[in-house]
Amino acid sequence: MVSSRLPAVVVAAAVAACSLDPVHDDAVRDLGGEAPGVRPGPTHRAGQPCLVCHDGSTAQPAMSVAGTIYGAPDSPAGLAGVGVTLADASGAIRTAVTNAAGNFYVEDSSWRPVFPLRVVVNYGAIPAPMSTIIGRDGSCAACHVDPPSRISPGRVYVAPSASLLPEAGSP
Amino acid sequence: MNGRFAMNRGFALALLAATLAVACSTPDPTAQTPVVGPDRAGFGPVHAFVDHRCGSLDCHGTRYRNMRLWGHDGMRLAVGDIPGVSPTTSAELDASYTSIVELEPEIMSAVVADHGANPERLTLVRKARGTEQHVGGAVVVAGDARDRCIVSWLAGTTDTTACAEALVLP
Repeated sequence: MVSSRLPAVVVAAAVAACSLDPVHDDAVRDLGGEAPGVRPGPTHRAGQPCLVCHDGSTAQPAMSVAGTIYGAPDSPAGLAGVGVTLADASGAIRTAVTNAAGNFYVEDSSWRPVFPLRVVVNYGAIPAPMSTIIGRDGSCAACHVDPPSRISPGRVYVAPSASLLPEAGSP
Repeated sequence: MNGRFAMNRGFALALLAATLAVACSTPDPTAQTPVVGPDRAGFGPVHAFVDHRCGSLDCHGTRYRNMRLWGHDGMRLAVGDIPGVSPTTSAELDASYTSIVELEPEIMSAVVADHGANPERLTLVRKARGTEQHVGGAVVVAGDARDRCIVSWLAGTTDTTACAEALVLP
């Protein structure tokens, strides 16, 4: 009886243990563990590409757009209360606000935008439109990687005054 | 009987040897496929459009695409240049031009030789129009300014007005 079920059990275990997408597995593994003292939740993993996990397959909730906004390009922590206005190709508009960690997100169940997206970050009286479109990736940190390089404009940040804007980054 | 068998066997072996010789011959390492691309000088306005609309870091501004674009709005070519900061360089224009032209060199050469006729022979045009599977969807509509910008360049007479209009279209 047991032996007749063994192959099915082995197959089921193998399927459960192995993802069919090794690239995705590597991407998740590259994110590393949680930061000390930060529990999984809306304020965790600031600055990481949220949709690597929150894509509906690895972690819940599934998100359509998500990211982190900082108060300065070299700030160790994100900035709360920053508005992020997203407009998709169909003309639909959504607004999200960053939480205590500087994270914002839009759940996939509430909005599945039609790419490309245009983004405006609002903090105080200074709206800062993103100069380019978002073509396909809902994770800000998929492109906005720290430090700035030839393949990344750096973190998304807002500055209290124009005089504090450095040359690099995405003010 | 034995003689005929021996002759047939000899013929079969010779045929096999000839087949193997043909099948196993190596390509000429010096052979080159000449590529005749559209006018490089007319590529500037086209690049301004495709860099902005197609070259974002999550689309064609990445090494993970076959068609790669370099420029101000996306991936930079030189270490030290940062997306969104310094203007597109001449080297980035050259690199993007080469990337586009050499995607399908034979077909590109044929389209250019035909003065841009039937540009949908190119995957570039089919994907941009969305008539072939494209994650970015239909980026242009046949005949609109964005489309005219690209196909006029393929025809050898870049429509700079269309390219300028394409830059500000959503």
